[in-house]
Amino acid sequence: MRALSFRLKFVVAALAVSLIFIAAWRSHPEHVLAPFAVEAPVAQASANPAEPMYSSRFVSSELDDFVHSSSVTALPGGDLMAVWFAGSREGAADVQIRTARFNAKTAEWGAEQVLATRESTVAGTQRYIRKLGNPVIALAPDQRLWMFYVSVSVGGWATSAINVMVSDDLGRNWTAPRQLITSPFFNISTLVRAAPVFHADGSIGLPVYHEFMGKFAEYLYLSADGAVIDKFRISRGKHSLQPTIVPQDERRAVAMLRYAGETHHKVLASRTEDAGQTWSEPYPLEPANPNSSLAAVGTADDGLLVALNDLRDGRFKLSLYGTDANLNDWRNVIELDQSPDPLGQPFSPEAYKAIIGEGFRASSGAQRLPLEQRFLSNLDYRVCKPEGCEFEYEYPYFSRGSDGLYHLVYSWNNTFIKHVSFNDAWLAERL
Amino acid sequence: MLFLWQAHLSFILLGFVLLGSLQFTRRWRPWLLPSLALVSFIPLNGLPLAAYVRSFTDDLAITTLVFLGWAALLRLGVVHPFKPLTRAQVLGLFVVLTVLLYPATMGLTYVDPYRWGFNPRPMIVVVGLATLVLLRLRNTLGVAMLALATLAFALRLKPSENYWDYLIDPLLAGYCLIAGFAFLAKAAWQHLQSERTTQR
Repeated sequence: MRALSFRLKFVVAALAVSLIFIAAWRSHPEHVLAPFAVEAPVAQASANPAEPMYSSRFVSSELDDFVHSSSVTALPGGDLMAVWFAGSREGAADVQIRTARFNAKTAEWGAEQVLATRESTVAGTQRYIRKLGNPVIALAPDQRLWMFYVSVSVGGWATSAINVMVSDDLGRNWTAPRQLITSPFFNISTLVRAAPVFHADGSIGLPVYHEFMGKFAEYLYLSADGAVIDKFRISRGKHSLQPTIVPQDERRAVAMLRYAGETHHKVLASRTEDAGQTWSEPYPLEPANPNSSLAAVGTADDGLLVALNDLRDGRFKLSLYGTDANLNDWRNVIELDQSPDPLGQPFSPEAYKAIIGEGFRASSGAQRLPLEQRFLSNLDYRVCKPEGCEFEYEYPYFSRGSDGLYHLVYSWNNTFIKHVSFNDAWLAERL
Repeated sequence: MLFLWQAHLSFILLGFVLLGSLQFTRRWRPWLLPSLALVSFIPLNGLPLAAYVRSFTDDLAITTLVFLGWAALLRLGVVHPFKPLTRAQVLGLFVVLTVLLYPATMGLTYVDPYRWGFNPRPMIVVVGLATLVLLRLRNTLGVAMLALATLAFALRLKPSENYWDYLIDPLLAGYCLIAGFAFLAKAAWQHLQSERTTQR
């Protein structure tokens, strides 16, 4: 009787357990990775002027902030929206995610606005937050704006998590931030820096990287509503970071990575031929990389434009290169900004002031030009140290508008976010 | 506040199990649970205390909550301790899961077992079979941990689409590794002692 009782209990319990597992099976079907969304060809004749065009201007306008890690996306009608982080110093509790809009008609950036703070992130995620960093903004094909940024609850950048905010009205209103669950280890050590890639079904591929224990890159795959539903390893080990991905067709894409090792100091590349599911072992390319962020974008002739610090050490020169689809033929397009000293040696404050004043006037654009005297009278720790004053041009980020214009933003001596725009006609002249 | 239910439950159970292991709390144990529940809601700079713990541990796995619940009932004297073999089965299971999952998350290879949790059907089958085996072995705790974690996964009770996040977390992994090692060391010591006694 006791044996029968146990057998009966076992059968009933086994049935209940089976039902639970069948429910889990049915509620989580296998998902299939959609091909990359192919961008519509640019209407060259109508929207893209035949005259070569290259211009620059400052996006940010607050002179006292340490500004860094900018990102830009093209909006409908030629307008742009940029985001970056700003505060008393990198990693400070007062760092905010700021934003500004570019008006295509006036060709000027509007006033800075605060998009996210430590407090708003605490309220949205219901977690203690120590600091913020690395915002990334992108307009999806369905016209929703996505803004990803990292936050840290404890420790340094290596223990970051990624937060996301979404706007359905091109940046006027945003959802409260929420945190993505990306790692089984206390959900730490996932950072974002480069532009997301959109897939044909609206799903999102987010290039991310890890800095805790190892330094390696991954391709995070989000559903169209922003749930993390898969991820794929781009690299392994301890020497590659911050992948920037350029789709080449529906299945193929190339990822370029910041090199964080001690061997060759070259930019790394990895390729996928199945829309991001598997990636080749990263291999070094021709340009050097001093462990600094880089950005890439596709061109009309299936080539790539890459902005990077082509240096073994330091970030005192930011270059723009053009390369073919196979990444074999590299041509220098322009030195976007550079120190007059070829080795990036520091200058005395007096000499530095004269040089950077000239750089300011060449970069600022008409809207920010009146800030020159205030800027020159306030050359602080961001550029000058006891051993002298140095130049730093870093963290580029590319976007291409539907009008065919290329937009590049980057940190200009951690004092301004600089925006450079140019067209295919200008590029054709330089290549 | 509803999506913080797990943070409050984790705070209460974790606090109770830790404080309940101290001898001097024995008389006050029935009052600890409601007291901790109240403490978990105390706001500090706009966040309840439970949210601070969650900030560092992330949301605990459902298996951990079930395990903490069982440990709490044990402290209250509602349930009896399991036999060593039953305990060893649970420890062994989660040590296997720990070894499978965590080393590979360091990024040393291209193999990433965390991915299996995003396409979980093979894992659901394996964990389902393991649950049936535990049921056959009359391991109630093991069955409850795996079945309730899977039920929570089916109902999407956590903000994660990954099955692993319901099955294991670093706290449970760390506990099982330490307790498993202690269990083995104790067993080895007892084996040595019995051999010595036999030789005499």
